[in-house]
Amino acid sequence: MADHEATAHHHEHHPEDPQAHATRRAILQAAIGVSAGAAVLSTLWVGAGLVPREEKIPSKEPVAVGDTLVFATGPKADQEITLDDLRAAQRERIPFIIAFPKSPENVVKKDLITNTIMVILADPAKMSPETRQYASPEGVLAYSAVCKHLGCTVSQWQNDTWLCPCHGGRYDIYNQAKVVGGPVPAPVPQLPVKVEGGKVVVAGEFLGKPGADV
Amino acid sequence: MYQWLDDRLSIGKLYAKAFRKAFPVHHSFFLGEITLFSFVTLVLTGIFLTLNYEPSIRPVSGSLSGGQEVPAAYYSILYIDSLPFGAVIRSLHHWAAHIMIAAAFLHMLRIHLTGAYKNPRELNWIVGVFLLVLAIITAFTGYALPFDNYALTATKIGYEIGAAAPWVGKLLSNILFAGELSPTNTQTIPRLFPIHVLWLPLALMGLIGAHLAIMIKQKHTQPKYAEKVAPGKIVGVPLFPQQAAMMGILFLVYIAVTTFIAGAFLAHPVQAFGPPTANTPPVKPDWYFMWIYGILQIIPANWRFEFLGATFGPQFWGGILVPTVIILGALAIPFLDYSKEKQRYLELPSQHPFRTSFVVGMLMFYIMSTLAGYKVDLGLSNGLLWVLVFIVPIVTGVVCYIIMKAIYGKDWNQEPEIKLIGKGSAADD
Ligand code: FES
Repeated sequence: MADHEATAHHHEHHPEDPQAHATRRAILQAAIGVSAGAAVLSTLWVGAGLVPREEKIPSKEPVAVGDTLVFATGPKADQEITLDDLRAAQRERIPFIIAFPKSPENVVKKDLITNTIMVILADPAKMSPETRQYASPEGVLAYSAVCKHLGCTVSQWQNDTWLCPCHGGRYDIYNQAKVVGGPVPAPVPQLPVKVEGGKVVVAGEFLGKPGADV
Repeated sequence: MYQWLDDRLSIGKLYAKAFRKAFPVHHSFFLGEITLFSFVTLVLTGIFLTLNYEPSIRPVSGSLSGGQEVPAAYYSILYIDSLPFGAVIRSLHHWAAHIMIAAAFLHMLRIHLTGAYKNPRELNWIVGVFLLVLAIITAFTGYALPFDNYALTATKIGYEIGAAAPWVGKLLSNILFAGELSPTNTQTIPRLFPIHVLWLPLALMGLIGAHLAIMIKQKHTQPKYAEKVAPGKIVGVPLFPQQAAMMGILFLVYIAVTTFIAGAFLAHPVQAFGPPTANTPPVKPDWYFMWIYGILQIIPANWRFEFLGATFGPQFWGGILVPTVIILGALAIPFLDYSKEKQRYLELPSQHPFRTSFVVGMLMFYIMSTLAGYKVDLGLSNGLLWVLVFIVPIVTGVVCYIIMKAIYGKDWNQEPEIKLIGKGSAADD
C-alpha cells in the first residue's frame, strides 16, 4: 500500500512515459528472477558435494566368473573355502558359509555389499532341476546372501530353512531360494559355482540382481 | 555485591517481571520438564562422549581389543567403557535418549487429552510434533556411532527404509550416510558424527527455545479449578522461588533415577556384539521404532508396483507412508478440533468422549503394531496380526466411547464439583 502511494506521488512530480516505466519494471523483475534462480542453482551445485563420490577400487568390483570364494568372517577370513570346509560346516548348527569373491589377482572384493554370498554343500537329490543345473555336481550351492527385503545378511538356519534374522524372511535353498515366509518380496539370485582343485569357483553371473529390492 | 549487580542488570525489575511469573500446578505439567531435563542430560553426557570418541573407522589395535584390529570408532567405545564411570555415562546417554522420547510422547498425550493444543496454542503443538520427530531422528543418527555389528545392522534397516522413498530416497539416504552403508565405508562415520553431535542438537535447541518462548508468551493452560478460584487470573506458584525449587528437586530426582538405571543396566554391550562383519546378528529396533517394524512385518511382500521409475513396495507403505500419515494427522489435530474462543483452561477427558476414545484407539494401534514386531518370536500369524493391528484399535475406540457415554453421558456439561477448602484439594486430581 505504502509502495503504491509512493509511486503515485512520484508520478505527480515527474510525469513519465508509462511505457518506459513498464519496461523498467519488467527488467527489474527479470533481474530478480534470474538472480534467485542462480542462487538456487548454485546452492544445489554446492549441495551436490554432499553426494558421496563413487570410487573405482578393485575391492569394490562385482563378482565375476573365475573368482574363488573365501571366508567372509571368522578366524579363517580371507582364506579360500574348500570342499572340506563345506563338509565340516555341514555338521555344524549353521551348515553354510558366508563368503566373498576373490579375484584371480588375489583381491578380496569385500567392499561391495552385494558381493556377500552364502555357500552350502547340499544333497543334489533334494534340489529342483534348475537349482541343480547351477550347483556343482558335488552339491555345492551358492546364493546372494543379501536379503531381498531390507538388505540384512541372511545368516540363520532354522528347521532346514534359510532364515533372515532381521524380519524373519525364509528361503528354500533347494528351490532357487523361493520365498517361503516373511516379508521378503523376491528370491535371492543363485550364483552358479563349480569346484576346481578343491576350491569353490564362480562359474557364471548371478541369475538376477543381488541386493535389497527397494 | 547484589547492589552492584542490580545497578547494572536491574535484577529487581527482572525479578518482578520474570521471576514472579505464575506457574499453574499440576503433576502432569512436569512431563515437559522431564523432556527438557533429558535433553540437558544428553548434551552434558554427549560432551563427555565426544571428547573421547574417534569418528573414524581406520583400523586400530590395542590392549582393549586384545591386539585385534578393529575400527577406531569401535575401539573408542571400548576406551570410554574402560574410563572411571565411562560405561555409566555412556549408558546415561543411552537411557536419557529413551526417557526423552518417552516423556515427550507422554507430554503430547497429556496436551492432546486435555485439549491444550487449541487456539491459541496450535503453533506450539506443531513445534512440539517437530520436536518429537527431530528427537527420534537424532537418536537414530547416533545408532551407528559405536560401530559394532548390532549397531550397523540396525542402522542398515533404517538406511534401506529411507532408500525406499520414491525417486529421492536413495539420494537422501546416500547423502545422510555418505554412500552405501557398509562395514567398510570409511565416510559414513565422519558424516554421521557431526550430524548427530552438532547439527541436529543445534536444531533441537532452536526448536526447544521457540517452544519455551511461545509457552511463556501464551502462558500455560490451567487446571479447571482455577476458573472457579479466580476467573480470568492465572492461579499458580511464582517461578521464583517455588516453581524453581520444584524444578530443581525434580531435576535432581531425575538425575538420581536415570543414573541408577544407567548403573544397573549398562547400555549396548559393544564388546558382546563385536565389530561389524559380513554376517548379520538378529536385531530389533528400539521400542519407539517397534511399531513401524511391526507394520513392516505384516505388509505382504507382493504389495508393490512401479510408477514413473519408482517402486512403491512394502517398505514404502510401512516405513514411510504410515509414519508420514500419522505425523500429518498429528499436525492437523488443532485445525480439525478448532475452537474460536481462546482456550484458557484444561478440558476434562471425561467431557470429551470422542477425542478421548480416539486417543485410546490410537494408543491401541501403537501397542498392537508393536506386538507385531514380535511376530517371529511369538509365532503369530499374519491374519491374526492384521486383525490385532487394524480391527482391535477401532473396536477399542468404539467400546471406550460407549462406556464413556454411559458413565458420563448424563452430565457432560455439568461442571465437576470442586471443593475449595478442606483436604483433597482439587489441585491434586
Ligand atoms: S532384511 Fe531380511 S527379512 Fe527383512
